[in-house]
Amino acid sequence: MAQIEQSDGGKKKKGAQKKIAIHVDFTPMVDMNMLLITFFMLCTTMIKSQTLQIVLPTNEDVKKEQQSQTKQSEAITLILDTEYNGDKPATDAETGKTIHNIYYYEGIADTTFATSKYLQKEQFIGNMNHEPQGIRKILRGKNKEVMEQYVKLKDQWKNKEITKEEFDKLAKQNASDSLKTRPVVVIKPGPNTTYEGLINAIDEMNINQISRYSIELPTHTDTLLLRHYEQANNATIIRPTVRARAAHMTAAPAEGESTPNS
Amino acid sequence: MGKVKIKKKSTLIDMTAMSDVTVLLLTFFMLTSTFLQKEPTIVYTPSSVSEEKVPMNNLVTVLVSSADKSGKLDDPSVAEGKLFISFTGDADSTLSSEKIRGMMLEEALAIYNEQHKNNKIALTPQMKSEFQATNMIGVPFSVLPQVMAMSVTERDKFMGDMTNPQVGIPIDDNRNRDGRLNDFQVWLKAIYNVAQRINNEQAEGLAAEERSQLSNLYTALMRKGQGIAIKADKDTPFTTVQLVFDNLQTMKLNKFSLMTALKSEDEPTN
Repeated sequence: MAQIEQSDGGKKKKGAQKKIAIHVDFTPMVDMNMLLITFFMLCTTMIKSQTLQIVLPTNEDVKKEQQSQTKQSEAITLILDTEYNGDKPATDAETGKTIHNIYYYEGIADTTFATSKYLQKEQFIGNMNHEPQGIRKILRGKNKEVMEQYVKLKDQWKNKEITKEEFDKLAKQNASDSLKTRPVVVIKPGPNTTYEGLINAIDEMNINQISRYSIELPTHTDTLLLRHYEQANNATIIRPTVRARAAHMTAAPAEGESTPNS
Repeated sequence: MGKVKIKKKSTLIDMTAMSDVTVLLLTFFMLTSTFLQKEPTIVYTPSSVSEEKVPMNNLVTVLVSSADKSGKLDDPSVAEGKLFISFTGDADSTLSSEKIRGMMLEEALAIYNEQHKNNKIALTPQMKSEFQATNMIGVPFSVLPQVMAMSVTERDKFMGDMTNPQVGIPIDDNRNRDGRLNDFQVWLKAIYNVAQRINNEQAEGLAAEERSQLSNLYTALMRKGQGIAIKADKDTPFTTVQLVFDNLQTMKLNKFSLMTALKSEDEPTN
């Protein structure tokens, strides 16, 4: 291929110059190209990061009358915690993933400890055989009405009855449909929670189409619940904070609030 | 027995086809690539099911360093929670990243000098152009002139040393500050002011309808919450990240995004 053939047209003349095949060696060219490819492969990012959007309320003091009140039956509080092994997050021996625990209660905190439901433990398990497990199952149960409609919409989109834009719009409307019973989730990450634990919790909100959730710091009541849970279940949840904040980041907990580990 | 004549064969391999393939691959990589931005430290973001991509333009990234993972330090948390900030401009070349960085720097210095009348910071034009060429910056204002006077290699080395207390934008619990802003808040205020100014300039003389069509850093910040992205390591404690959230809230930037990697819904979540 790389040689230019010079045919003599079949005739043989005497004394005609001998024709030489011109051959171009492409090997150095290939070498150079390979080097360039390697360079580009090493220097590029093929996978773009994704973003999760969050909206936080103002951190100014809000008067009690101005605070929005939630129906007791709709509220669910998740207290997050990450297990630690020394100063590193503990990982599951099988999957190699960090162990995050969720302690949750529904409605207002039951400080009489009348039933064992004052605090229940769950984990982020995700789906198993396409069925939600762990905390996802509980949240989905709470948001059943929205999820039923959401599944229908998703089917319509998959069957190409509606476009992606329409689906996104309808799903958003559906998630904030005030006629449906929807939960209000309060996410309370304890001081030993890793950033991943928080992201997992927000992620569950998105998966379960929960439009009303907030991120708050744990209160005294939560500490009380955790302490009682510890005693009843012979567990250790309240440990000293694994990592003291580095010297350049000195923050005191908000007034009137206390973290479970303090 | 007759001699078996071995025909001499040419050992030349035709490389043309190979060359064709490599050129094609090269073209592919050149066209699809976006170069990795230089970051002083590596963080591994947690994953989520969110499919929203990080915007390419009009973005302010706040990087929160993770605890030291090399195991060389006695106290790995020394390296934790250092803040770095990076600005990406508009796709439009009139507001390139360099220009945005320049505007941010001017504004931030003005705010800082207003608050620290006794130790004002002044940068030479040379230092300013150095700043414009730097992707990610993470030093207190007090050492900014010193860092900007360094060569690129020196600066990378300086900012890459997470144990150095002079690395990382200072942040604190923003309580009892008597109206004085910390360095991180100065940057946030500068971001807001610059974004608003750009938006006002662009909106001038436009009808209300056209105004709502504008797409710049201000609209990204205010409407979509895509203007500021926080990039933190999955093992960073929440308390560290919360401090960043709290400072953002104080500066009325309540909408922002968190950078994550992609995973599917069926994947077990830890």
